[in-house]
Amino acid sequence: MIHIPITHLISISTLMFFIGIYGFITRKNLFTILMSTELVLNAGALNFVAFNKYFYPDNLQGHFFALFIISVAAAEAALAIAIIIAIYRNFKNIDAEKINEMKY
Amino acid sequence: METLQLFKILPEKIYFQNIPYLPGFRKMVGWNLDFSTLTRNIHDSLFSFFSPGLASAAEMVIIGLCFLTFFALLGLILVYAERKVCAFFQLRLGPMRVGFWGTAQTFADFIKLLLKEPLTTKNADKFLFNLAPFIVIVASFMAVAAIPFAKGLHAVDLDIGIFFITAVSSIGVVSILLAGWSSNNKYSLIGAIRSGAQILSYEISAGLALLTIIILTGSLQLSEIIESQRTGWWIFKGHIPAIIAFVIYMIAGTAETNRGPFDIAEAESELTAGFHTEYSGIKFAFFFLAEFVNMFIVSAIAATVFFGGWMPFHIGNFTFFNHLMDFIPSVVWFFGKVSLIVFLMMWFRWTFPRLRIDQLLTLEWKYLMPISLVNFLFMAFISLEGWYF
Amino acid sequence: MNQVVFYFLSAVILVFSLLTVTSSRILRAAVYLLFVLIATAGIYFLLGYNFLAGVQLTLYAGGIIVLIIFAIMLTGSAGEKLERPSLNKFLLAILISLIGTVTSLILFFAYHSFPVIGNEIPATVKMVGASLINPGDNGYVLPFELISVLLLAAIVGAIVIAKKATR
Repeated sequence: MIHIPITHLISISTLMFFIGIYGFITRKNLFTILMSTELVLNAGALNFVAFNKYFYPDNLQGHFFALFIISVAAAEAALAIAIIIAIYRNFKNIDAEKINEMKY
Repeated sequence: METLQLFKILPEKIYFQNIPYLPGFRKMVGWNLDFSTLTRNIHDSLFSFFSPGLASAAEMVIIGLCFLTFFALLGLILVYAERKVCAFFQLRLGPMRVGFWGTAQTFADFIKLLLKEPLTTKNADKFLFNLAPFIVIVASFMAVAAIPFAKGLHAVDLDIGIFFITAVSSIGVVSILLAGWSSNNKYSLIGAIRSGAQILSYEISAGLALLTIIILTGSLQLSEIIESQRTGWWIFKGHIPAIIAFVIYMIAGTAETNRGPFDIAEAESELTAGFHTEYSGIKFAFFFLAEFVNMFIVSAIAATVFFGGWMPFHIGNFTFFNHLMDFIPSVVWFFGKVSLIVFLMMWFRWTFPRLRIDQLLTLEWKYLMPISLVNFLFMAFISLEGWYF
Repeated sequence: MNQVVFYFLSAVILVFSLLTVTSSRILRAAVYLLFVLIATAGIYFLLGYNFLAGVQLTLYAGGIIVLIIFAIMLTGSAGEKLERPSLNKFLLAILISLIGTVTSLILFFAYHSFPVIGNEIPATVKMVGASLINPGDNGYVLPFELISVLLLAAIVGAIVIAKKATR
């Protein structure tokens, strides 16, 4: 693993993070927004793991952070999907821009 | 050449064999149990011929080819066994025409499937439609790779072994959902949704049942799980909770493979064929093969965790008996156990009537999951008090 | 060998995460996301964190993605085509992402002397398990308990939110 420079790993996680941000801004469907969020969280976890592996291999803090990020992502996805289904039931629509009843 | 040498050592060892229970005897019977010599020889000769990078690549190719062959053989044998077992349960003969007792029947069927035209429905999402069979086959491929077949015959021995197998086989659900949706057919969609709900639910109690035994083994690594059963299989050593866990695992495993009384995803009388209604030719063959391989995987995990995998039947430190059992090769033990459990699953399929979807979910969420959670606690208590053998 | 696998996985991650956010079919986007997550699990395997990779496969690939696909089918939106973003939004998003990427990458590549500490400890399952319930140094019992409470809250919350309102 030493043959791969850490900058490459971090570049990947950075690119993944900002691709997620891009999706978060451009998408309108709630599910795709959720997917972009998952990308962002995943990039964060990968970053934690990379720093852990290269700089502090004598303990596992980054590893555990990634583990907790994954569990939080699971909780978040479950809640988000429940909310999306509730929204769909009330509005028959899951487009983020058309759910604007609370706007006025 | 290497194998020849392997067998040349054999008579000498038999010749010098002492009374069975003398120390060092295990080393002598090692010849018929241990595949690690063979695999190490192949490994060494590959690394002496090629550069390390090329050699490891060659190794991967060889292992991949072995697994491909194994997959094809497994599919052929299991399909034949299924048809015969079904026939005998219904007092019929089953396939008899092609080959001796119909043994070549599945081979002929396989050729027919290969020659068929792969159809695609109109307005289907072609990419997902073609992708789904590959996901399911890759998932079961990866799961099989981590299973130990005999002593030393183990492709990868991950330290998360059993967790890896359950993790990888859970990806198969995605392909079922995709196949059902992209077929553009309401029967397929209903079948896929049913199957998704079913597999997602039953994964929980299957995992909990396995965890119950993991408390005793103290390791997720498959080789260590097997090694911990040197003095007896967990189903005997773990007594009551282990038996409960085994029953729960068998129910959940049957449900996870969409078989037996839980085959509502492809209930013929309601949904024609469920999620693979629209598939034909080689793509259908992939689903079909994956179904049987998944059955093998579930049985292999059950055999490994509850019945000691390739470990022969040992009773405590009763050395004479244990050595007697060691004479049966480990491959025979493993495949014997697996085929018994596979037979059990076929027995379920042709005996019980099919469940309804609400009954199915009630069974999981109201009965199996609470029981397995309580059983888990019970096992933890037993392990804490040391009340197992 | 490791390098080949690593760059292959990175290529998979980049290509499919781009496709995830640009694909116009929602179900395909979910499948591309699945590939990204599996490739990330592969990188964890390469780094030697097997348990983390297993968790990633089970929870993300086997759990969250299946849940998302299931919910997409339930809401009946699987077949519809997503509309393209408006030009303003597209430009804004591109601008933000580009600025962010370039800034972070310049910072990373400018900072040459990363300190590397030796004494690598393998992240075996035993280590992970022992650390998770260890209340002392390098122990994570508090976050572990917090996460379990959070998951319980999430279960209850999800059920309450998604349940049909009874009147």
